[in-house]
Amino acid sequence: MSDLAVTPARTAVPRKVLRRSAAARKARYATIKMWVGAVCTGIVVVPVALARVLPLPDPVHGVLRETSLPPLSPGHLLGTDPNGRDLLSRILHGGQTSLLIGLLAILLSGLIGIVAGAAAGYFGGWVDTVISRLLEAQMSLPLLLMLLLVVALFGPSILVITLVIAVAQWPEPARLTRALVLVEREKPYVAAARVLGLGRLRVIARHIIPNILSQTLVVVLLLLAQAVLLESALSFLGAGVQRPYPTWGGIISDGRELFVTGAWWLVTIPGVAIALLVLGVNLLGDGLRDRARRAKAVTS
Amino acid sequence: MPRYLLKRLLQTVLTAWFTVTVVFVLLRMAPGDPAVNYAPPNPSSEQLAAVRHEFGLDQPVLGQYLTYLQHLVRGDIGESFQFRQSALQVVLDRLPYTVTLAVAAIVVTALLAIPLGVWMARRGNTAGELGANIATIAGQSMPDFWIGFVLLIVFAVNLRWFSPSGFTSMSSIVLPCLTIVILQVALISRLVRREMVTNLNAPYVTIARSRGISERRLTWRYAFANSAIPVVTALGTRFAAMLNGVVIVEVVFKWPGVGELVVDALERRDFPLIQATVLVTVVLALLVQLMVDMLYPLMDPRVRLQEARR
Repeated sequence: MSDLAVTPARTAVPRKVLRRSAAARKARYATIKMWVGAVCTGIVVVPVALARVLPLPDPVHGVLRETSLPPLSPGHLLGTDPNGRDLLSRILHGGQTSLLIGLLAILLSGLIGIVAGAAAGYFGGWVDTVISRLLEAQMSLPLLLMLLLVVALFGPSILVITLVIAVAQWPEPARLTRALVLVEREKPYVAAARVLGLGRLRVIARHIIPNILSQTLVVVLLLLAQAVLLESALSFLGAGVQRPYPTWGGIISDGRELFVTGAWWLVTIPGVAIALLVLGVNLLGDGLRDRARRAKAVTS
Repeated sequence: MPRYLLKRLLQTVLTAWFTVTVVFVLLRMAPGDPAVNYAPPNPSSEQLAAVRHEFGLDQPVLGQYLTYLQHLVRGDIGESFQFRQSALQVVLDRLPYTVTLAVAAIVVTALLAIPLGVWMARRGNTAGELGANIATIAGQSMPDFWIGFVLLIVFAVNLRWFSPSGFTSMSSIVLPCLTIVILQVALISRLVRREMVTNLNAPYVTIARSRGISERRLTWRYAFANSAIPVVTALGTRFAAMLNGVVIVEVVFKWPGVGELVVDALERRDFPLIQATVLVTVVLALLVQLMVDMLYPLMDPRVRLQEARR
């Protein structure tokens, strides 16, 4: 599979030379990136998904005798906060909220983006004008400020935060889908489908979108990284899901008054979790994108 | 040229109006009453009504909006609820701090990101490039507030090289600036690399190489000169975005800029101050974008030719 780009059926060039070629190296690096990304993502996502099953202390109610324990204390792998709450448990449970928001947000923004982008690209005319103007208008708004404004004013429920992130993110998949559909709609198979009497919506949904979906989904996957970062930033600024329920940004925000007193782990460790997940998703997406580009270069 | 400039200025005004309107509508749609924050403790309903009347919040929303626009046209941005003085003045007092931080950050970013990006493009598909590639992805994967705290813990709390927060001396700018630079270098260097790879593989570079032009000259005078427009545009956009408030970094380091101001104003529902901050920063950001556009003809003779033909 990974040799697809460099090993055509028969060749006189020795395998050894082929393996040293730029294309082969590129393919290898894309694979390395994907694996490193998958491992980083897995390290965070698997424990977070299992948070309810694992034998963890309560993330919300602490044990008062065990306050501010440093990491590697007996019974508390990552230590506890001043309320005696286990940090590992809080990070894993907080991760559930953060990931849930992130996943819902990209699902929504991906859906809006693909539908709007496909409509703009395929129909053109006034549909395209309206959607493109909307995209431009949103580009000109100061993003974080607007998000903060909406969440601060409308209350930090999971629903509001998810919607806000989704609205912030729809331009990217929309623009990409539009560009791809513009190319795709000129291809013969689209004309053929139309001649066979298929309706336009059916052509878009059943013929065009399946052909561009893989490229779009990579971008949507990359948005997950952005969504997790945005959510943590909002929580950090106090516009996140409310205490005592943990979120990653919230835990860091709570810890910031304490690191001066030496409790460095409350700030640094949750950040490592965020960074590891985001890095993993970014690497995975980047690797997938490199691979998609290569596959395209080979087939065309 | 003047006609183009006029068109762009008009666009700027429209965008500013759009932004201000969105903010205005959002503020008025939100639940909660700002008057509570500014009346005496445990206010009676008369006291609340008095505060609302003083701030003009008892008017119908459309009326408030029209008055606001009228005042804007006359150059009056309104009076801050909490400071009881011109909101514009409050914002302008804080603006120098944000501008200083943004300028420092963008200069350092450009100085680091351009060589790094060019290096990555020249070293395409080597182990070193893979390392730099992963490092830049890591750079944009870390939450900026977290980078800020880690820097604070290491350099301010443990090593005591810098003061932990606020603006006490010129050296207080180092840590906030570094926090911004880490993310921005990651973003910009990847863009530089992408542009440079495209240009280095273009036919004109191959031809120039066959004419015996040195690699150094090929890189900078040929490929980089042609990558300059997207790179400068990106730097401009980043700089403009920073003017809109490097909110998070300012909060982490208690940097007295507009970002910190607006977070505070949001908490206290100081409507005129929020509106003023957004307006000033958006207009500034738009002007920066406009200035970057004006630079295009200087950077690329093709743009000059096009304009001459028009």
